[in-house]
Amino acid sequence: MRGWRWKREARLAGWLGVLALFILLLPVPAHGTLRTLHLDLDARQFEFTPPRFEVAQGDEVVIRLSASDVVHGFYLDDYGIERRVVPGVVEEIRFTADRAGKFRFRCSVSCGPMHPFMIGELVVTPNLPFFKAAGFVVLALGLLLAHRWRHLSAALSPQAEPVQGDR
Amino acid sequence: MRRLEGIAIALVLSVLVGLPVATLGYQYVVRPAQSEHRVIDIIAYAPEAGGFQPTVIRLTAGETVTLRFHAADVVHGVAIGPGLGIDLGHIDPGEVREITYTFDQPGLFTYYCTTWCSKDHWRMRGVIEVVDPASPDSLPLPERDPIIDALAAEGIDIDTYPDGGPTHGGAHPARVRVSTGLTPHVARGETALTGLTVPDILASLEWRRAHTPLEALELLAQENADADRARLADAVAGLWLSHTPGQPAAGTVASYNANCAACHGQTGAGDGPAAGQTAEEPAAFRPDSMLPMRSDVLYAKIQRGGMGTDMPNFGTLFTPEETWALVDYLWWLTFTDDP
Repeated sequence: MRGWRWKREARLAGWLGVLALFILLLPVPAHGTLRTLHLDLDARQFEFTPPRFEVAQGDEVVIRLSASDVVHGFYLDDYGIERRVVPGVVEEIRFTADRAGKFRFRCSVSCGPMHPFMIGELVVTPNLPFFKAAGFVVLALGLLLAHRWRHLSAALSPQAEPVQGDR
Repeated sequence: MRRLEGIAIALVLSVLVGLPVATLGYQYVVRPAQSEHRVIDIIAYAPEAGGFQPTVIRLTAGETVTLRFHAADVVHGVAIGPGLGIDLGHIDPGEVREITYTFDQPGLFTYYCTTWCSKDHWRMRGVIEVVDPASPDSLPLPERDPIIDALAAEGIDIDTYPDGGPTHGGAHPARVRVSTGLTPHVARGETALTGLTVPDILASLEWRRAHTPLEALELLAQENADADRARLADAVAGLWLSHTPGQPAAGTVASYNANCAACHGQTGAGDGPAAGQTAEEPAAFRPDSMLPMRSDVLYAKIQRGGMGTDMPNFGTLFTPEETWALVDYLWWLTFTDDP
């Protein structure tokens, strides 16, 4: 009885290993791999277009910044990136979004009366390996169930008979 | 009690009156008295709010002056030209940039905004009139430009051209465009030139500046009857920039980007962000519009501006050398566009 159990456990452990490896290597979309994101950002009095964009933590972001009317600027909070943009001349800003959170970018050149309100938002979503973590949780639950199956089935069956030797 | 009240009133009055008197007195009485030369404060407002105040400064030749530039509303920039090489950079609101300079020679100089501060930014200019101390009442006259005079003598109206061309929403007689289907590239110029019979006159910069690439193309075609037209066009592109170093100077590119790109576009395609706001569609520096164009006409257009087109005049800002460098850059944009 004992030997049989050990064999069964080893087989389960083997399955666990194979499944874990599979989940680890599974190419899950979005946050799994790092991307290079190209974004056209236009500045005009007194707004950025688009006003909000979302990237994943670790992505390389390439912003093509343009100005449509007067000279504007771009200052990204916390990242400390600053650039000045003259109408007609496109500026390329390249950085790695290595900090997660919500950051405001604002015009850094006094462009007119509403200049202080010329603000946009960069959302850097945390790059938790969510899908993989979820996969591991499902796997662990499945193994637990498989391990305890005999107990459970015995406990649930109407003609309950104590199972010998198992605990 | 009445005595304390009197003291309180005196205190308040001394603050209310004393503070302005002290600050304004320093600015307008003490500082000018201490300074060995004139100090002139110039406040920069956006053009629709008045531009530079004052707009005109009169000096005597040989006079040293300190010009203090303030920005009142948005970011401005100040440079003084032509030919002085004074660029004070950007001025943020509340900031003061100053320069102390001695204007040796009588003449007219322009202080101008260097930052796109509003859509009328290019109107934001002020004049420094440096008068001759011998005749302080007579204003210096603007110098005549020999290139523009020569064009006038030749009977060339730099604003009108024989054929029509598109403008905002319709044909306009002031723009000529040809459809040659040619996309000459300067990089192929040297290869294209080898083996061709090139008329001597094409080697003359003076001739090239007063003629169009199309005319040069015809001359080349007469000498090389069996050569491919596209190859001849490449050869003309090479010739047209043969007096320049391979790459445009960084200063010229910066000048184009700061002054021209808003309407004409960074690559010269005539598609800058302000292109839709001008009275007439900005010129595109592309083969179809440039092959029938002369360098000296381009020079004149930059120096004098375009009548009724919203093209500003840059003759009061740029020296002839700077203007020719810009003209060469326009040809460079034209002859490097081929993908």
